[in-house]
Amino acid sequence: MRYKILTVDDSKTVRIIVKKAFKTYDCDIIEASNGVEGLATAAKETPDVILLDVTMPVMDGVEMLTKLKSDPALKGIPVIMLTAEGGRDNVIKIAKIGVRDYVVKPFREEVLVEKVGRIIDLKPLSESPTKVKSILDNATILVVEDKPAIVLQIQEGLKRTPWTIQGVNTTGEAIDFCNRTQPDLVIISLTLPDEAAFTLFRFIRTNVKTKYTPIFGLVVKTELQAQQQAQQVGFTSIVTKPMDIPELEAKISKAMNLDTSQRYFSIEKEIFLVRLPEVTTQMVVNEVSTYLKPKMSEAVDGGLSKVVIDLHELKRLDMIVIKLMFQTMQLCRELALQFALVGNAQLASECKAFEDTKAWQFFDSIDEAKHSLAKPSVSSSLSQPVAAGV
Amino acid sequence: MPTTEKISDLVFRETMTRAVQDVVKTMLNQNAAFHSEIGATENSDKAIEISGQHVVGTVGFIGDINGLIYLYLASEFASLTAAQLLGMTKRELEEAGDEVVNDAIGELTNMTVGAFKNQLCDRGFACKLTIPSILRGSNFSIQPISSATRRVYRFDIGQHRIVADLLMKIEE
Repeated sequence: MRYKILTVDDSKTVRIIVKKAFKTYDCDIIEASNGVEGLATAAKETPDVILLDVTMPVMDGVEMLTKLKSDPALKGIPVIMLTAEGGRDNVIKIAKIGVRDYVVKPFREEVLVEKVGRIIDLKPLSESPTKVKSILDNATILVVEDKPAIVLQIQEGLKRTPWTIQGVNTTGEAIDFCNRTQPDLVIISLTLPDEAAFTLFRFIRTNVKTKYTPIFGLVVKTELQAQQQAQQVGFTSIVTKPMDIPELEAKISKAMNLDTSQRYFSIEKEIFLVRLPEVTTQMVVNEVSTYLKPKMSEAVDGGLSKVVIDLHELKRLDMIVIKLMFQTMQLCRELALQFALVGNAQLASECKAFEDTKAWQFFDSIDEAKHSLAKPSVSSSLSQPVAAGV
Repeated sequence: MPTTEKISDLVFRETMTRAVQDVVKTMLNQNAAFHSEIGATENSDKAIEISGQHVVGTVGFIGDINGLIYLYLASEFASLTAAQLLGMTKRELEEAGDEVVNDAIGELTNMTVGAFKNQLCDRGFACKLTIPSILRGSNFSIQPISSATRRVYRFDIGQHRIVADLLMKIEE
């Protein structure tokens, strides 16, 4: 259910500015131009918050507020005064009637959003609700770390990704950055002086714009107390030093809820391509397994009937990869897909050592594999995988 | 109750300058530089210095202290200001018409007068704002009645000029 914010102001300008301020949040703005309209709209719509001006024709804000607070059905609606009437005595007098907050014009839109965000759980509206962010999309990752070498290590490690890694030294710089730009993820060193990591964590969580931003704690593996403290306060994840960059990348992707399937699956000239990276960890296997069935079904649904499984980057074969391959081949058979493997000499040699994999045969390149699949009939003398789906 | 005679010209100028600068900075993200003033005892016949078509916003304050402030902007600058305030393009603003510009300048005046009079309230002069109104035209002048003092303050915002005309009723 979307939150409703009622703005009661005789100035159309203010109502437009309010709409503008909240346009990137998941809420509806309802308008009224005086106290009478405001009361009627409040009764009809039961808004979650009312932004109320004081000086208005027909019925002013003070009268509307008084009537609102004396109506049992409406008195619970939180009211924020948004008015140019800001003298100390006026504010005290109005506050006594019962307002949640008081914003004096001129006002910054961010201040208004922040104050409303303290009352309702404002959620940023995604640019396109149906589009899932993918691993190929840009993202901004803020690293708050006073050791430049660590920032550099993260920047180097993730340079293949389309992400921008922005390093800052202090929490002050981090706060400035967050006020200017909304990061997609924040990594904070837990060893910043004076427990600054936790102060910054609280700031990010209380800021409407960043309260849902994933926050990672970064600490040496043996600093168990800091890790425990970070987990208790609600850090999204902990990254330990020395850093395992592929693991960090996977954690970031998961925390940002990115669709990582493009890393492993693609379609090239009517061939469905499954690709495993050089280092295929358990985390990678889990990701591939998650996407495998839906992606293959999608490919079949789109009219594809041939699959190339590309393992040529893989340095060694282990049980988790073998299991994944069996799962993939089984699925190909179930969907009546022809498939071929691409590998390297090392892999082919390792396969010979296992009973279950010794029949696997690999092509040296994707083109060769494609070519073999393109042949009108595949003889049973071809490699087991290629023939398996026929 | 304190009397306004105790407020010096310097305080009026500083109060008005703070109000204009605060509103311009907060709402338009621009700087307003104080340019010059015409004091209460000076001849203010040609004080406005904005020629051609202009838009004038007015808001009064009533209570322990009574007066009103006119905010003068050249018509073109008023449109630019409204566009910035509302986050609209020039074309969108043209389509929306003068009414939207009038409302925006009215609100800008309301905020400026609010910021001005709130400072006076905190000095012990309790007063409330009136509803804004707008004048549009060229070759017109607003003359105070004899029982009012007039102070004019000019500000520069980039290449543009904004003039605040403060009229206050003399206490009996």
